[in-house]
Amino acid sequence: MNKEELIAKLKVIIKPYTTNTEAYDNLTENTDFINDLSINSANLVDIVLDIEEAFDVVIDNTDMERMLDVKTAVEIIETKLAEK
Amino acid sequence: MIGNDVIDIQQSRKESNWQRKGYIEKLFTLKEQLLIANSLDPESMVWILWSMKEAAYKVYNRKTKVREYIPKRLECFIESQNHDFISGKVICSDNIYHTKTTLLKDEIHTIAVSVLDDLNHVKEIEKKSIFKDRNNIPYFVSLENRFHDVSVSHHGRFEKVITINIQKQESNSLTKVY
Repeated sequence: MNKEELIAKLKVIIKPYTTNTEAYDNLTENTDFINDLSINSANLVDIVLDIEEAFDVVIDNTDMERMLDVKTAVEIIETKLAEK
Repeated sequence: MIGNDVIDIQQSRKESNWQRKGYIEKLFTLKEQLLIANSLDPESMVWILWSMKEAAYKVYNRKTKVREYIPKRLECFIESQNHDFISGKVICSDNIYHTKTTLLKDEIHTIAVSVLDDLNHVKEIEKKSIFKDRNNIPYFVSLENRFHDVSVSHHGRFEKVITINIQKQESNSLTKVY
């Protein structure tokens, strides 16, 4: 899976938790889940759980702590997929 | 320093499924998981603990400027509890935050402070003259152009803007100067 495909898959995951649709439509690697997409912090954990299911990976606590933007999420998923 | 977090339970029911597999385990320490499991009202306990973590994180973030998603490193302790109020603390490494949670119908509101006595000097203000710095940390700008710590929380039908009583803050800063 290349990076574009990965971001596309991630974008589908975060859609239901996003309240800022304009920022969502213009999503880039630099998009911040909370500051840009206005995702409720209680839903960040849903994104982590959805990523675990969709990519069949396990995201530990240390990784979850950093997962605040698209770029970091992509990095973490890429690392986990490479370890498989 | 202060932080606060308000939760609209009806909104939470629309947005979150706390009973989802893995949800509780990823957000709460083992001790907190026991508090939830043993509670007569597990749903309320989930959101009480969550609002304590969020309020404490806002103080932590204001102090350290570090942004991270660390619910499990903000460990909640409930010290006293009655029908309407919960007093407690949240510990994050060497930092202790004192919390007071108010329970109303469908509303959970926690205030966290780094100095215990400040809990007696918290007041709600109107949401105006709020300025955010480059770390997204909010301040209230008074008519005299002074900056005061403020914390803003909005969820569903509820919005809370709180500060520490201005006289109290000014006497604090005077103490520091002299």
